[in-house]
Amino acid sequence: MSNESSTQAYADATRAKGDALIEVSGVDKYFGDFQALKDININVGIREVVVVIGPSGSGKSTLIRCINRLEKHDRGTIVVDGIALSEDIRNIQEVRRETGMVFQQFNLFPHLTVIENITLAPREVRRLPKREAESLAMEMLERVKIPEQAHKYPGQLSGGQQQRVAIARSLAMKPKVMLFDEPTSALDPEMIKEVLDVMVELAEGGMTMIVVTHEMGFARAVADRVVFMSDGQIVEVGTPEHFFTDPREDRTKLFLSQIL
Amino acid sequence: MTAVENRPAPVLSTTPVEWVRERLFPNVASSIVTLLLLPVLIYVGYRAVLFVAVNGRWEVVTRNLTLFMQGTFPRDEQWRIVAQIMCMAFALGVGASTAASAAADRAREAGLPVARQQPLEVVRRFWPLIAFVLVLLYFASTVTPWLVVLGTLALFLLGTAARFLTASFRNVGWLLMALSVIAGFQVVSGTTGRSWVAAAVVVLIALWTSVGLEGLDRLPRLAARVGLSVLAAAIVFGVYTLIPLSGVGWDRWSGLHLTLWVSALAIVLSFPLGLLLALARRSTLPALRMLSTGYIELIRGVPLITLLFMGQYILGFMLPAGSNPSSITRAIAAITLFTAAYVAEIVRGGLQSLPYGQTEAAQALGLPPAKSMRLIILPQALRAVIPAMVGQFISLFKDTSLLYILAINEFLGVRSLVHAQPDFRSVAHAETLVFVAFGYWAFAYAMSRESQRLERRLRVGI
Repeated sequence: MSNESSTQAYADATRAKGDALIEVSGVDKYFGDFQALKDININVGIREVVVVIGPSGSGKSTLIRCINRLEKHDRGTIVVDGIALSEDIRNIQEVRRETGMVFQQFNLFPHLTVIENITLAPREVRRLPKREAESLAMEMLERVKIPEQAHKYPGQLSGGQQQRVAIARSLAMKPKVMLFDEPTSALDPEMIKEVLDVMVELAEGGMTMIVVTHEMGFARAVADRVVFMSDGQIVEVGTPEHFFTDPREDRTKLFLSQIL
Repeated sequence: MTAVENRPAPVLSTTPVEWVRERLFPNVASSIVTLLLLPVLIYVGYRAVLFVAVNGRWEVVTRNLTLFMQGTFPRDEQWRIVAQIMCMAFALGVGASTAASAAADRAREAGLPVARQQPLEVVRRFWPLIAFVLVLLYFASTVTPWLVVLGTLALFLLGTAARFLTASFRNVGWLLMALSVIAGFQVVSGTTGRSWVAAAVVVLIALWTSVGLEGLDRLPRLAARVGLSVLAAAIVFGVYTLIPLSGVGWDRWSGLHLTLWVSALAIVLSFPLGLLLALARRSTLPALRMLSTGYIELIRGVPLITLLFMGQYILGFMLPAGSNPSSITRAIAAITLFTAAYVAEIVRGGLQSLPYGQTEAAQALGLPPAKSMRLIILPQALRAVIPAMVGQFISLFKDTSLLYILAINEFLGVRSLVHAQPDFRSVAHAETLVFVAFGYWAFAYAMSRESQRLERRLRVGI
């Protein structure tokens, strides 16, 4: 394959298939002197599942944290559902309402019960009445298969259950896209599957997802596209088959040889 | 590998002899310490009992019991204080029943068994205060204290009977409680000229209690709250203006009565002020941050007694002409301003103890900063600092004794009146000091125990 067509293939790969829900173009991000993101270009389409992998410190988490503005990018543009992220706080709030995020450390609110955790944002941000918010929360808990835990406190649940509550909490806001920041990295091995199962179902249900993970099995089974990042750059983008059977870049090959 | 045979768990029961051997004489060194300290402890205990039960001349206390309790409060207005105690007992009863129905609701919702109140629970929780009351009754020479205690119990029970109301309308319970506390205050202080203060307090309480009123979900909540509050304020204002009540202003209060009110008011006022200062110190606005930091560091660098004197002698120059607050008002202001700086630092410590992930999770859900602070960060931060905060309030309570130096006859200061009496001019000060110390201890220890209980109860979720 000639060099030119390879570049073309890369450009094609960063483009979403259908309409783009998220458009990231030319994004740089610095922490002090350290450049965490270098000229990131990636589009994510509606109902698409994009898995981001790469060694630690490669900027994966920073990238998805820029998408809901938990981190502020320094150059380039990020457009989520037609809203360009800017300094304007109303823009940011609007994007955050449409974007669910699941953290590595769950970050449930320990002083609230499970159902209070889930109903909080729908009631306070979407202004849903209490009863409606509660039936919505129960629906979400059914989806993550732990409705019986509704009135417990997060501290009384296992790690896997907590992470599923965190997913339900995000889903209750009816987001257009879900961001997962290493959702299974803080879990004991026997609990990883229950969380991944929920995520697989979510993907099959047509949710748009960006997932930062080290679970290659998940990437292979669910991803529409896999993004490999290293040193703050997107090194390679492709379908899972292409990615795991025929990686083009040396850095990708090296990474895959280390983890597989 | 061979299986280890099952064994019964070791029985951990100790007879008194074993306890003594294990705890007091486990080895040579400890035995020597025990042998050295035991006689000292026994001797000190013996002297204490001897003083309290045999040698102490408690007449100086028993004959001045009223003076210790209410100081120089006009005797023919004494019914006001009795009425106040009754209002407080009623408020306590309503509060207890409302808290109980709230706890029962939570337990029922969570599918847990509703904890039954143990009959002896109250005794265990408040035994220092009960001991203080029993001592008062023992010292009492008239029937009045007995009647007051009986009346207090009766009104407390009446308050708990409000459960039929508070079970379904919890906010009504809290409002009723707050209103009877205000009524208790006003029955002594009177209402003339202070109606706007009462109206403002009622607005605040109504605003607070209507937060989360069931059924208001569908209405625009802010409008409903403001409407309710304005209505409540209008009623109170109207009533006060139409029916002015005479009373005894707090510049004429003294004794334990004054000590308790000064402490309560300073605690209630310094908490929100300290909270605001803590938030200001973490603000992103530099001017606000610097103001708050400057205030906190300035106040923390000055002794309380200096502030109290400044309140008496310097405050006058800073206030508009014509306003001349009583020395008690000035003292409350000084203590409040002092404590607020410490509360601010305690709250700031709590805010810093929370992982940043909590803020991020709230942001990611689209909660605006103010709501994230109010609903996520503050509840957790305040929970974490309960022990430090209550410690600060206990120290405030005891520091009110400094008012003695300003010639205000609070609980400790009353002693100077007692020892100025012809009958007791030459008696030793030990009895009155021990009695006053016991009184302070009873309240301070009760506060400390309640804080520990609160801590245990709130830890459930974490």
